Amino acid sequence: MERYSRQILFEPIGREGQKKLSQKHVLIVGTGALGSATAEILARAGAGRMTVIDRDYVEESNLQRQHLYSEEDARMRWPKAAAAEKRLGEINGLIDVNSIVGEADAALLEELAQEVDLILDGTDNFETRFLINDISQKYRIPWIFGACVGSFGMTYTIVPGKTPCLQCLLKQMPMQGLTCDTVGVIGPAVQMVAAYQAAEALKILTDHQEDLRPSFVSFDLWKNDHLEIKAGALKDESCLSCGAQPAYPFLSREARTKTTVLCGRDTVQVRPGKKRDMELSALALQWRRAGWNVEGNPYLLSIEKEDLRIVLFQDGRALIHGTKDEAMAKKIYQTLLG
Amino acid sequence: MIRILFFAHLREETGQSEAEIEGAGKTIKQIKKEVVEQFHASRLDSAMTAVNEEFVPEDYRVKEGDVVAFIPPVSGG
Repeated sequence: MERYSRQILFEPIGREGQKKLSQKHVLIVGTGALGSATAEILARAGAGRMTVIDRDYVEESNLQRQHLYSEEDARMRWPKAAAAEKRLGEINGLIDVNSIVGEADAALLEELAQEVDLILDGTDNFETRFLINDISQKYRIPWIFGACVGSFGMTYTIVPGKTPCLQCLLKQMPMQGLTCDTVGVIGPAVQMVAAYQAAEALKILTDHQEDLRPSFVSFDLWKNDHLEIKAGALKDESCLSCGAQPAYPFLSREARTKTTVLCGRDTVQVRPGKKRDMELSALALQWRRAGWNVEGNPYLLSIEKEDLRIVLFQDGRALIHGTKDEAMAKKIYQTLLG
Repeated sequence: MIRILFFAHLREETGQSEAEIEGAGKTIKQIKKEVVEQFHASRLDSAMTAVNEEFVPEDYRVKEGDVVAFIPPVSGG
């Protein structure tokens, strides 16, 4: 327990809180900037079990703000979830970290929901957030929304049965692309949101729900704004996610999506209808023979020909780079994989 | 008069962080429509609206002297 001594000396946590923390399971969806930051804080704090999910791989442009990753990870195009698991294991060998390289879809989240105590938002899109929101309500698991762009950030702690949910706050999914990270983001904005999220996480994991922050926080570190907004009035009894007769609309709707434009990345993700188990090495051989430039690691292949770049994951997902056109991306995918 | 505050990209769009308009007695929905026209803000539909630091629904009627903040949800993470 010596490694946690400073945290145990912190009165609200203490020895008892530390023990509780060590028995909890946290799910972090997305290990980009926010997920990296909250995962590191909670790993160091001694959260007993952590599951991290991410569908992307590390690139050089991530290193400015995604603290878990190294230049080596970017060079190797290591999947973020796998790189995060490795790094978190180096940071704290006493905890159990499990990584999932893949899409946080309804099926996967429903499976994980059976055993997690808290869900942390590390995503970069509202599609996944609305999915998490429904999962949170259906399985009565608190989740902590967080988002940032530029020097601006926002966060809100959603507790089923107590607070309004994301659906109550936003009413509808914000239109794709409106808030894309095309204007960039600075590291401090990320760390600020993550600090709020991680503090709330520690309260939940050590059973101090009474200390949770009731307000929605929004700030701009460059323009020196800080707002704390009361949100209780938006709790909607007719809400389809958290109201009296919930239908969890996003859990059923989600299953149809096959292609997703990745925010601000000029990239489309294509998912096969059913998960596949790709023979990556055989495919690499085949494509090299066809004149493609193929690189890879145990998790993925990166294929290049002319101005096309495609990254294919073990589970059959592919990222088609250099386009925002979903129909074209699908066509490229089908041409490659049939 | 009511005071209006803009955040995130709404600031860049409108070119200001705050403004004053006549708005007492109107609903948030009406005020959003007027603000879009008057300040060339294109993205108010999905913006969350707080009146005096408390979120309110679209049918809320503002009163003289209220401070209305438009906070657009951002997606990055």
